[in-house]
Amino acid sequence: MIAIAVRREWVASVARFAVTFLAALLVGAAVMVASDRPALQAYRTLFTVAFVGVQNVADTLLTATPLIFTGVATAVAFRAGVFNVGVEGALHLGAFAAAWVGFTATALPGPVVIPLALLAAGVAGALFCLGPGVLRAYLRVDEIVTTIMLNYVAIFFTSYLVNYPYAVPGLANAMSPKISPAAVLPRLLPPSQLNLALVVALAVVVAVHLIMTRTPLGYELRAVGSNPVFARWAGIPVGAVIVKVMLLSGFIGGLAGAGQVLGVNYRFVDGFSPGYGFDGITIALLGRNTPLGALAAAVLMGALRSGGATVELFMDIPKDLVLILEATIIFFVTAEYGLDFTRRRRHALAG
Amino acid sequence: MPWLADLGFATVRLTAPIILAAMGGVLSQRAGLVNIALEGKMLAGAFAAVLGSFYAHSAWAGVAAAVATGAALALVFGVFVLRLRANLVVAGLAVNILALGGTGYLLQVLFGTRGAFAPQGLRGLGTVHIPGVDRVPVLGRVLDGHTPVVYLTWAVVVLTHLFLSRTVAGLRVRAVGEHPEAAASVGVPVARVQYAMLMIAGALCGLAGAQMSLGNLQLFSYNMSGGRGFMALAAVFFGQARAWPTALGGLVLGLFDALQIRLQTTVGVPPQITQMLPFLAIVAALTWVSWRRQVRGGVLAP
Amino acid sequence: MSASPLVRLEEISKAFPGVLANDRVTLEVTAGEIHALVGENGAGKTTLMRILCGLERPDGGRIYWQGRPVEISSPQEAIRLGIGMVHQRFQLVPSLTVAENVALGREPRRGPVFDRSRAAVEVQDLAVRTGLRVDPRATVADLSVGVQQRVEILRVLLRRPRLLILDEPTTVLTPQETTDLFAVLRRLAAEGTTILFITHKLPEVFAISSRVTVLRRGRVVGTLRTAEAAPEALARMIVGEALPARRDAREEPPGVPVLRVENLRVRDDRGAQVLDGVTLEVRRGEILGVAGVEGNGQKELVEVIAGVRPLETGRVLLGEDDVTFAPVRARRAAGLAVIPEDRYLQGVSLPMTVEENLLATRYPSFVRRGLLEAGRIRSWALAVMGQFDIRAPHPAAAARTLSGGNLQRVVVARELASAPVVLVASHPSRGLDLAATRFVHDQLRALRDRGGGVLLVSADLDEILELADRIAVIFAGRIVAHLPAAGASRERLGLLMAGKAA
Repeated sequence: MIAIAVRREWVASVARFAVTFLAALLVGAAVMVASDRPALQAYRTLFTVAFVGVQNVADTLLTATPLIFTGVATAVAFRAGVFNVGVEGALHLGAFAAAWVGFTATALPGPVVIPLALLAAGVAGALFCLGPGVLRAYLRVDEIVTTIMLNYVAIFFTSYLVNYPYAVPGLANAMSPKISPAAVLPRLLPPSQLNLALVVALAVVVAVHLIMTRTPLGYELRAVGSNPVFARWAGIPVGAVIVKVMLLSGFIGGLAGAGQVLGVNYRFVDGFSPGYGFDGITIALLGRNTPLGALAAAVLMGALRSGGATVELFMDIPKDLVLILEATIIFFVTAEYGLDFTRRRRHALAG
Repeated sequence: MPWLADLGFATVRLTAPIILAAMGGVLSQRAGLVNIALEGKMLAGAFAAVLGSFYAHSAWAGVAAAVATGAALALVFGVFVLRLRANLVVAGLAVNILALGGTGYLLQVLFGTRGAFAPQGLRGLGTVHIPGVDRVPVLGRVLDGHTPVVYLTWAVVVLTHLFLSRTVAGLRVRAVGEHPEAAASVGVPVARVQYAMLMIAGALCGLAGAQMSLGNLQLFSYNMSGGRGFMALAAVFFGQARAWPTALGGLVLGLFDALQIRLQTTVGVPPQITQMLPFLAIVAALTWVSWRRQVRGGVLAP
Repeated sequence: MSASPLVRLEEISKAFPGVLANDRVTLEVTAGEIHALVGENGAGKTTLMRILCGLERPDGGRIYWQGRPVEISSPQEAIRLGIGMVHQRFQLVPSLTVAENVALGREPRRGPVFDRSRAAVEVQDLAVRTGLRVDPRATVADLSVGVQQRVEILRVLLRRPRLLILDEPTTVLTPQETTDLFAVLRRLAAEGTTILFITHKLPEVFAISSRVTVLRRGRVVGTLRTAEAAPEALARMIVGEALPARRDAREEPPGVPVLRVENLRVRDDRGAQVLDGVTLEVRRGEILGVAGVEGNGQKELVEVIAGVRPLETGRVLLGEDDVTFAPVRARRAAGLAVIPEDRYLQGVSLPMTVEENLLATRYPSFVRRGLLEAGRIRSWALAVMGQFDIRAPHPAAAARTLSGGNLQRVVVARELASAPVVLVASHPSRGLDLAATRFVHDQLRALRDRGGGVLLVSADLDEILELADRIAVIFAGRIVAHLPAAGASRERLGLLMAGKAA
């Protein structure tokens, strides 16, 4: 009986998402029609490019890879009631740390240097989020504000690093030296750039899923996220949980940066992130703050973006259309949660 | 000291959009709504200003379009947040994404470019020469010859201060932001006050955008707000949502912005370090404030 | 005093799910009188006043204002009629000045500009006239709670009410402030304002009112002229006729102390001194009942023992362990269990499952190799659910799907399954039906009989009398009496709880 109830809830949440997604597509279609573009054909192309054919799917997954990381990183924090907007900063520091290991430890073989670079990236990201975590847990400084501010610090700092101490002379754009060939993540389905980072991302999804459902930390973070007052009365160390969650979130955010450096760019390129960290917020929200949900949402967004780029190339429809679709989806999803909440409240007041 | 005057002039110029948006942030924050959407509204305003000026051949038509666009976007934000109870931060980020996507889309559809749009003969705001001021040493060169919007910016700061501290409406805004239940209990229409503040904030962001795109460069480029909305938000937090301290915060951020070029060429300080410092300073200031509050509240007792 | 009624409530009924808050209540307030409304927590006083202020709609009954039937559908309507209420929870904006707070909503203005000086003068005039001394230019956040209340009263008075309702206004006041307030109220009444004064405290009834109406369990027990009422009789009306309480207190000699609190001094969130030197001792195999009207420091006492509120001075000992500064988890490890007052907020997490709620205090003991042992947890949860008769379809059902009684069973099960040495139970049967109440009481007795110590905090005198072996009465942050349950009469307890030393 309970299994049926659970499944029904799952179906309902998928159905609700489908409605939201359709609404966004309609808004997008309206925009295209208004600007005299063939909407139906555009969507057909977008779908084909995103999902039909091995190379197309590979490109979708390639685009989705950093989004999986940042989505899961954000979801972990949100689930514990911590509004971590600092994944973007963790991503930058992690990317640089991975690049640094990659271009410094050139003598090491791949099986050593790759884990080392990933670890360095994770630690860099975790340390970045440690500060806001401690401030939130023990001094009640709003983590939204500190993480937004510190994002700039991380972005400017890494930019400084590749413009000055680790600058490569003679290049138009600021970037670090190239990582050693041993540190390059192997490709999965050449010629696509899709690489081992996807496997790491999937491993992170599985690991976080297990952490959330099977470990004491997962239990603690769900308790703190669902009712911190209750958690405190029960003796769960709320402050320590918040700090641990921020460390975990930052670690995964750092891995996102490492994935881009070791798998795609092979160096730290100034301004390489179009806001992957912020996308993580959207993805976590769409995925209802679960790792599996974030995975699905990240693949969907990867498909939109990968398809959007091609549609722009071939049909003269700006890929910014995808951003409009994303914004619409976010609006509807967050409003929908709000509606849920007010309905619950009214129910509670009446009942 | 001509370089000092140049630096001052650049600071005043670069600061104006940040301060305008920050005053919008002050008004909405005082009404109880942290405004993450400043960035998007600035960007949309910048684009609308260029559109208006380009099609109507008048800079002021551009300004009007920018103000209207900012307010309209704020209305959408307000409906989602106040009416549909959307999460404030998430909806704010959605506005920013919508503005980035919308301006990018239109830029390409209308003008066929992905980068900068700087048509021949686009009317800019022009500069104002104030007779007399230019003869004051140093300060004259700092203050003279800005666009009207720059001067308007400082008028807005004064007005924001007076509005909040002196007017009946300002009193109600403060009450709504701090204790909405108490305000409602004496018949203050809470939602209406919040809508009004959001829309004024939107209009100010639009004006800020117009200064960015028509003030000095007369062009629109993709994502040209480049985080200035978040700088404005930082200034609001730095100034704890009071008009003058926030303006001061904005000025400091603008100064660092202007300083980075100067320090780089003269002393060799990397511009990124200069840009990084104000954000670190804001986090440090927030930490200090909380630390003091907790120590005084006795929460840190052993 | 004219005898015509200013307001007449006739046969007012109001039901909330599970409770009949007002049951055909008829109340008449004469113009110019000070009328006290007394009764225990949950007697229906506040509901009745909320109806009068337009904050609740009655299910049945009529309201007559100066003899005319009226419908009070909104607070605005009540204000228009001339009804003003000073709520228990102040509606003041801390960062604004006194004058600004008082003026808010009907500000004096010159064009768009707020006329500060006129607002200040208006407040000043009214303050002088009424004797409610405040500085109009002071910021509310800097004022003591007593002065804040004056501001709240001034705000209501500025709207010139015919009827002024005060909901337990003295709970936050010092004795001196209370005296001052009473002087003001008498003057207002002399000038023709009618006052309805809600209170728990008998001395206040006698100090201020000309008539008093007693509510008990939603019904009017009676209305008396205060001058003709005897304190003992009034106390009996409030707490009810003495049913022979079930007396199964144990005669055995008490055991060693398992919980001691010594000289606790604690401030509440607003900085008021809510515990002022409280010393208590709970021994093995006894239930110590803390009786008192709510808001006399019980909430903070429980929070300090549970470890979620810092204290100024004093010690908390579990057995021989000093846990004054120990975190919650260490206290629980030392044998403490707590049934908190607010089960929805402090007791359970509604989005989590029944099983997860049961697990909250003991999940570390279900960890093997870093993982929670799902199988062992499930079988343990099923056993506990059976033992405590928790009616949920499944251990994985969300807590929010459970009834209030079943939720409390979850809390009780979690706290007692660990065989605690000491249990602190705060209003453990509040809002529960008879069966659930009996269940909770049986569990407390069983723990006592197994040799545990129980600190039972309750505003329900019946509950205290039924369960406790010893009773401590708390009033205004102090323990005013310790007495064996066997020798305690309701009447005497009622007087003690009302601050009238007997």
